[in-house]
Amino acid sequence: MKALFTRRSAVVYVGVAAALILSGCSSSVNDSAGEAAGDCGSYAIAMHAWNGYTASAQVVAEVAKANGCTITQTTLDEGPTTYDAMEAGTIDLIIEDWGGGRWQEWSDRGAVIDSGENGNVGLIGMYVAPWMAEKYPDIVDSKNLNKYADLFKTADSGGKGAWFEGPAGYTTIGEKMVGANKLNFKVIFSGSEAALIDGFTKAEANKTAFIGYAWQPWTLFAKIPNLESGHVIFPANDWSDAAAASGLTDYPSTPLMKLVSKKLNEANDVFTTIVKNFSWTNDDQNGVAADIEGGMTPEAAAQKWIDANPDKVKAWLGK
Amino acid sequence: MPIRKSYLLIACVTLWIALGRILHGKDTLQLDTYENTAFTAFVGDKALDLRGNRTESAAFVYFFNPIRTFIDGFVQFIRDLIAVPAQNSVIPVIGWLGVVGLVAFLVFATSQWKTALLAVTLLLACGALGMWQFTMDSIALTLAAVLLSLSIGIPLGIWAGLSDRVLKIVQPFLDLAQIMPTLVYIAPIALVFMIGAASATIATMIYSIPISIRITSHAIRTLNQSPVEAAQSMGSTGKQTLRKVQLPMAKQMIVLGINQTVMAAVSFVVIAALIGAPGLGLPVISALIIRNVGEGFVAGFAVVFLAILMDRSTSAAAHKKQSFIPPTAKDIKRKRISLLIAGALAIVSVFVSRTMLWAAVWPKEITIAPQIEKITNDATAWILDNLYIFTVGFKDLVSYSILNPLEVQLSASPWYVTVGMIVALAVIIAGVRTAILAFALAMAIVLSGLWYEAMLTLTQTIVGTILTMIIGIALGIWTGRNDRAEKIMRPILDAGQTLPAFVYLVPMLGLFGPTRFTAIVTGIVYSIPVVVKIVSAGIRAVPHSLVEAATAAGSTNRQIITKVQLPAAKKTILLATNQGLIYVLAVVVIGGFVGAGGLGYLVIVGNSKPELQGKGLIAGAAILLLGIIFDRIMQASARRSS
Repeated sequence: MKALFTRRSAVVYVGVAAALILSGCSSSVNDSAGEAAGDCGSYAIAMHAWNGYTASAQVVAEVAKANGCTITQTTLDEGPTTYDAMEAGTIDLIIEDWGGGRWQEWSDRGAVIDSGENGNVGLIGMYVAPWMAEKYPDIVDSKNLNKYADLFKTADSGGKGAWFEGPAGYTTIGEKMVGANKLNFKVIFSGSEAALIDGFTKAEANKTAFIGYAWQPWTLFAKIPNLESGHVIFPANDWSDAAAASGLTDYPSTPLMKLVSKKLNEANDVFTTIVKNFSWTNDDQNGVAADIEGGMTPEAAAQKWIDANPDKVKAWLGK
Repeated sequence: MPIRKSYLLIACVTLWIALGRILHGKDTLQLDTYENTAFTAFVGDKALDLRGNRTESAAFVYFFNPIRTFIDGFVQFIRDLIAVPAQNSVIPVIGWLGVVGLVAFLVFATSQWKTALLAVTLLLACGALGMWQFTMDSIALTLAAVLLSLSIGIPLGIWAGLSDRVLKIVQPFLDLAQIMPTLVYIAPIALVFMIGAASATIATMIYSIPISIRITSHAIRTLNQSPVEAAQSMGSTGKQTLRKVQLPMAKQMIVLGINQTVMAAVSFVVIAALIGAPGLGLPVISALIIRNVGEGFVAGFAVVFLAILMDRSTSAAAHKKQSFIPPTAKDIKRKRISLLIAGALAIVSVFVSRTMLWAAVWPKEITIAPQIEKITNDATAWILDNLYIFTVGFKDLVSYSILNPLEVQLSASPWYVTVGMIVALAVIIAGVRTAILAFALAMAIVLSGLWYEAMLTLTQTIVGTILTMIIGIALGIWTGRNDRAEKIMRPILDAGQTLPAFVYLVPMLGLFGPTRFTAIVTGIVYSIPVVVKIVSAGIRAVPHSLVEAATAAGSTNRQIITKVQLPAAKKTILLATNQGLIYVLAVVVIGGFVGAGGLGYLVIVGNSKPELQGKGLIAGAAILLLGIIFDRIMQASARRSS
């Protein structure tokens, strides 16, 4: 029994070793393929999970690949995790950052460099389900929210109205808004985009009450027509003094930023040019994102946009 | 004596409720989510410093960073081999056909052709799901983590098996690792080792090493001692006894330990994606974020297939039949020839996978993913449309009748009342020593500033555990008494144990909305298989003579269950409750992703917002403290009941 075992394992070792050696020296498809031509290095783009981001990142990736760059795309959480990865040298580009300067610590160390705005403007706000805006027209003024608070009660909101905050990584000031405006609402942290989509969609379909955090560009605005009409307006909008702006104010509109790694910042090739020049509108992004949401692969959706907008692409390439 | 104990318990709870009513809303220690205490701010600052120091401080430059570089390199080496295009190339070193050939050969060599066939089928199924590269990434990561875990776990396990003192030192760590919810330690690890494959591998190892230590030391300790003594009496040195007697005898059990280590590593595949690991976790998590149930399930199936593949191919080796009839020369020859043929086939497939593109990169056309996605999406949509009314009604019923009153009791009472009651309950159920420990740990949570959030999480955990035990004990009795039920349930339970909770978090979200209840139900689904298995085993372990005696005395089925089997299995049921509670706690915290709030949300938000990082890390620790408090109380009461 024992002898059999050893002899058998010997065969196994020889077999595996032979396979490995073979894989080391045989002629392979590797040699013939790859080795794209062009004056461009290899870079890694951080892929954040929302569709709008995917749209921007994929378009940049496709343009870069077509111009000889080697691009890897790595799915990562937004914020510190990605900044860390940039510091470690495993990520070179965030194409859309909402952080509003949250990268400062990393920027001070020279690990993350601000590469300008990407043309998209982020709008954040609190929205009620659109059917409510139609039925109760004055609900979109924050002063009247308390009047309707009872409508928003759920089993989870402790006798107050339920107020659904944005996903964990997003900029949220709901607690301050509720406190400063003395709203009779309880803040519930929805925790993910999925939870908000679920909330808005069901509320609109079943005509139930819902107030939640929403932002643009976001494909949910294409799926729920009139979602814009549910935008609840809060007093003042002065964000210049962050301390004074805590609570009474609404969210400011945020120009979305491109952030690059030290390596990308110091390089000088096709990809640097593309990244520096990249800029497009919310409509551009929404179009591509809607195609992805509709079932197209990100590659195909990006290519479709690239084919339809040769001028913009040319401008990015600096031609 | 037992009667007095239950009176005491009732008195305690009544007093607690009364005090909670009188002092309602006082000293609840509630904090806004975005508010930091001096302590959480301090920890947050320290964490930020740590991030900044990663390139400078000596501990990083000479210790942590080299470890990270080594593990990253190790994982990357395996990935280059089978998963991702190697340097300067468009394909991995070994293409898909080569991987299939090698796996078939390895499984065939270590077990038998049926298992090999199953392994190949499962691998091809992962490919057909459109998940080939993700699967290979996961295999690479799992392989790296398992190899490293075993290289640490087996030697330590042997040492702990031979020396009582070593066992005593490692035991608390083993216990701790078993209680610790996975969501808790990924943040601190990522802080030190940064996001990426290295952190994921280390996190996986923390999860799987204790299992290999535990089983290996158990294997050495439970050996039949007479051959060992014989060897010693014949003058063998300790080393000789170990190598020639103990290890060969314990081999079977150690292989079982390898199997369990592998399974622990596989079950980490999804969580690993939260700290930037490549693999099947990525599609699962992204499906959660964009709420695509179908995509999540496709990836989830691939995880289950991978788990079955790993389980069957390693457990077949562990359960290989030990035959007393020595194989004839002919048998040996036949086996050797078939091995040579299989080996040749494997080599050919590797060769082909390096020369032909169709054998190198999984052909995109061969996929059933869209169909499966569509079926699951349609099924989910149907369920949501038709069952939503009922599920929401049920959610509201449980919320208003149990969840809200309990939450008010726990979170709106002053902290000192609740701490006092936990200690009093611990004294009654588990004894003074455990009560002192419970007091110390509860005070640690109070001082951390996260008491209020901890009470929210505790509420969800308790409600989840109660519901789990109701369903779990019922199913456990059923499968414990009925062989056919056992046969039907076994595969469902196995699948339930391997399917990652993230996969059904999204459908649950659809059924129950962004609420605490979604988190609770997910926790229940996750923990039921384990509870059913333990209870069922407990019922089966009740001596037949007892049951027969009761039957002969004319007891009805119900009497047998309530008067004989359940009391006899009491200790097992207590342990099952403990296990269920720990499992529910581990999953309830990921409910932070779907609106459940509590400590879990703080962990999640701490990962993505620097200003809340300290709070997130402390929330992780608080989850662990909660787990330890309940684990110790339940364990002590199980010990007492025997």
